[in-house]
Amino acid sequence: MKILVCIKQVPDLESRFKPNAEGVWYSETDLAWRMNEYDEYAVEQAVQLREKLGETTELTVLSIGPERVVEAIKKALAMGCDRAVHVRDSAAAAKDPWQIASIIAAYAKREGFDLIFAGMQSQDRGSAQVGVAVAEQLGYACTTTIVGFEYDNGAITAKRELEGGMKGVVRMKAPALITCQLGLNVPRYPTLPNIMKAKKKEISVIPVAELLTEGALANTTSFHSPAKKGGGVVLEGEVDLLVSQLLGILHEKTAVFR
Amino acid sequence: MSAKLFKGAEYLISEVSSADVFTPEDFSDEQRQIGATTEQFVLNEVLPHREEIEHHNLPLTVELMKKCGELGLLMIDAPEEYGGLELDKATSMLAAEKLAQAGSFSVTYSAHTGIGTLPLVYYGTKEQKEKYLGKIISGEWIAAYCLTEPGSGSDALGAAATATLSPDGRHYILNGTKQFITNGGIANLYTVFAKIDKQHFTGFLVERTTEGLSVGAEENKMGVRGSSTTQIILEDAMVPVENLLGEIGKGHKIAFNVLNVGRFKLGAGATGAAKRAITEGVRYANERKAFGVPIATFGAIQEKIADQTAAIFASESVVYRLAGLIDDRLATIPKETPDYYEAYQEGIEEYSIECAIAKVFCSEMLADTVDAVVQIHGGYGFIQEYAAEGYYRDERINRIWEGTNEINRLLIPGIILKRAMKGEIPLQKEAMKAFESLMSPSFDELDDSLPFAAEKALLANLKQAFLVLAGSGVQKFMNTIKDEQEILLAVADVAINIFAIESAILRAEKILPALSDSRKASIRAAVKVFTFNGSEKTASAARRAAYYIEEGDTLTMLLAGIRRFTRYDATGLLQAKRQLASASIAAEKYIF
Ligand SMILES: Cc1cc2nc3c(=O)[nH]c(=O)nc-3n(C[C@H](O)[C@H](O)[C@H](O)COP(=O)(O)OP(=O)(O)OC[C@H]3O[C@@H](n4cnc5c(N)ncnc54)[C@H](O)[C@@H]3O)c2cc1C
Repeated sequence: MKILVCIKQVPDLESRFKPNAEGVWYSETDLAWRMNEYDEYAVEQAVQLREKLGETTELTVLSIGPERVVEAIKKALAMGCDRAVHVRDSAAAAKDPWQIASIIAAYAKREGFDLIFAGMQSQDRGSAQVGVAVAEQLGYACTTTIVGFEYDNGAITAKRELEGGMKGVVRMKAPALITCQLGLNVPRYPTLPNIMKAKKKEISVIPVAELLTEGALANTTSFHSPAKKGGGVVLEGEVDLLVSQLLGILHEKTAVFR
Repeated sequence: MSAKLFKGAEYLISEVSSADVFTPEDFSDEQRQIGATTEQFVLNEVLPHREEIEHHNLPLTVELMKKCGELGLLMIDAPEEYGGLELDKATSMLAAEKLAQAGSFSVTYSAHTGIGTLPLVYYGTKEQKEKYLGKIISGEWIAAYCLTEPGSGSDALGAAATATLSPDGRHYILNGTKQFITNGGIANLYTVFAKIDKQHFTGFLVERTTEGLSVGAEENKMGVRGSSTTQIILEDAMVPVENLLGEIGKGHKIAFNVLNVGRFKLGAGATGAAKRAITEGVRYANERKAFGVPIATFGAIQEKIADQTAAIFASESVVYRLAGLIDDRLATIPKETPDYYEAYQEGIEEYSIECAIAKVFCSEMLADTVDAVVQIHGGYGFIQEYAAEGYYRDERINRIWEGTNEINRLLIPGIILKRAMKGEIPLQKEAMKAFESLMSPSFDELDDSLPFAAEKALLANLKQAFLVLAGSGVQKFMNTIKDEQEILLAVADVAINIFAIESAILRAEKILPALSDSRKASIRAAVKVFTFNGSEKTASAARRAAYYIEEGDTLTMLLAGIRRFTRYDATGLLQAKRQLASASIAAEKYIF
């Protein structure tokens, strides 16, 4: 059995972000990088499955990005992935989710994975589209935002988060893709022996040009700090007066009654 | 790895290039990951239990040590042959630095992995390692080191504990009391030093269950209260002869060599503790308002943040430069060498001066930092609910154990002089040259196009000052200089500050090209602030030494020389401090 887990390296969210010179994404200067949180759940789940299924299963981790993403790849290897693919792309941040998905799908098609894990979304772009778009392009079954996972002989039972605190259960057959949400598991810290062992694992490098065929469907026109909003208004006084005052404001300044 | 192998203390007589120093920015991905795992462990598993640990929940501490074992945090320094990882010192220091954020727990950890484990690693026989090392690096057993006695601390070789061979020749019978033993109450294996036939100072591996071994009451301590500190009492304790460690009469080698690494590691730990403390200080400064504004906006608060940030930068630079020095040297020893650990010991001993420097400099840097952090907290810094109060108490022990800072200071000129006598460092020749330059000052113009030109010129001059003072001291007192402690302490301060200033400058120079403009500005500011503070301290120590050593015209000449040798143009100092402070305040943490 062949499993793929897709990870992205994102900036530490406590960083101070500034728009880049082109004004279409953030500037990468002085940022600290780490593995996307949701991808950690994906890696953990994939590794647990790999451990359960044993040696006949091979778990590959894939990441698209510049040289720096190797650090995130190495973490996934130290957590227990068997081998890695680094799709080298210094302009990954400028690609839209469809293009990123197409790169992953092109690679996955070659390898014929039975199961693909991805994070629910990335912490920086947050489109939550890459996973589903990969499934779409591969024609795989797919479920998203999962908080529970079981696998038995090609049958997947996933618990997924619905709106309003409800949970749903999805059953599907491999080949399939799932995207992972907070609460699915507690990602392990790589142990020191595993960090050192990961040094010997294979990381194959593929230039992005080899896999990219699709054009962008979406385009970022501007990236900037939110405009400063005016301060709030505190209404004080008798309740009935307050109500008519409030209604007046709503009529005048909002679209609520239009 | 750097191209050139440096000898211990060589920095005092030669120019070191930035390409030759190891820096935290040189860590490999693996080292960074090990740092991250260690930090995650501390943040998620230890700090949430800080209160319980501080209130002496020792079973919890033991449990956490087992978790350390599962993560591999106890195997860094152990040989692969026995299941260890045998990683370099840079990695070992990084783990110690990250763990130091864990307060009392880090004391348990460092005593176990350092003085507890290393004697066995360095001096144990194959059988001893097979029997004990596996248990120790998995955390199944906790280790402790018993050198100090009620009657002998600094004078460790003055131990009164005795060992006598039993009539049947199968056991040594140990008697004596060991004092202030870290992990005493929770350890399963003790490395105990005792004198065979009251004269041959020797190490022994003593199991907790040995008949005749008993553990005293827990001490009630000022700081690191969550760690275990007890007496270990030996009353006719029967230790099998095969548990003798190393050679009979060679216990001092074990004791001292393990201390070199211990001192070095203490430096790394102090650095980690200081980073955490300043982060807390900056956070509080942003939160606390006085006179209607956050106290972080006050210059008085900003100056503390800037001074300590710069000092921590230097401290980090010292620790990892030393790691690089030691790792480079140890890497030249083939693993197949029959007496590998003997050669290894010599490799570390080469840098005993730098280890003592790291111990003193980093522990005193931490003392200044926690003091500033309490002060930033005002009254709240005095209240136990605030972490600052604990940092302040926990810091104090670092200037006492692993050799008091006095003992470590005395060691520095002591070893330098010993090496000079043996002809290992051309101190005399260099001192003569320094005297000449004292008489005939050169007025070379600074080449401002070179990075840190002013700082480097200062460094070269400070080294001259050191040589002149060491030379004068020896000339005046000859062999009795070893009894002139006040002079030795002052000269040690000069040597310590030179190493620290140099480490900070060389690291900055090495990493500068790769940095963004704003990072460059912060690094330059840190160098300026630290070099200024360091040069002022050096000048004061040098003047002290001059007054102690000389009088009359020679004194006047020496003082004039010191004035010249310690001159540093710190134009822009205030802007540098404000720059450092505002970067720290924006990031709400230690910024390097
Ligand atoms: C919490 C704690 C944990 C400890 N853990 C351990 C442990 O695990 N194992 C262990 O073996 N020991 C341990 N120690 C002991 C520690 O290493 C000693 O306390 C330390 O070495 C100082 O010895 P002392 O207390 O006897 O002080 P002393 O040696 O009596 O020193 C008193 C003062 O005299 C000064 N002094 C002494 N000799 C000289 C000299 N020749 N020249 C100039 N000044 C001098 C000292 O600097 C100091 O200021 C621990 C101590 C504490 C408090």
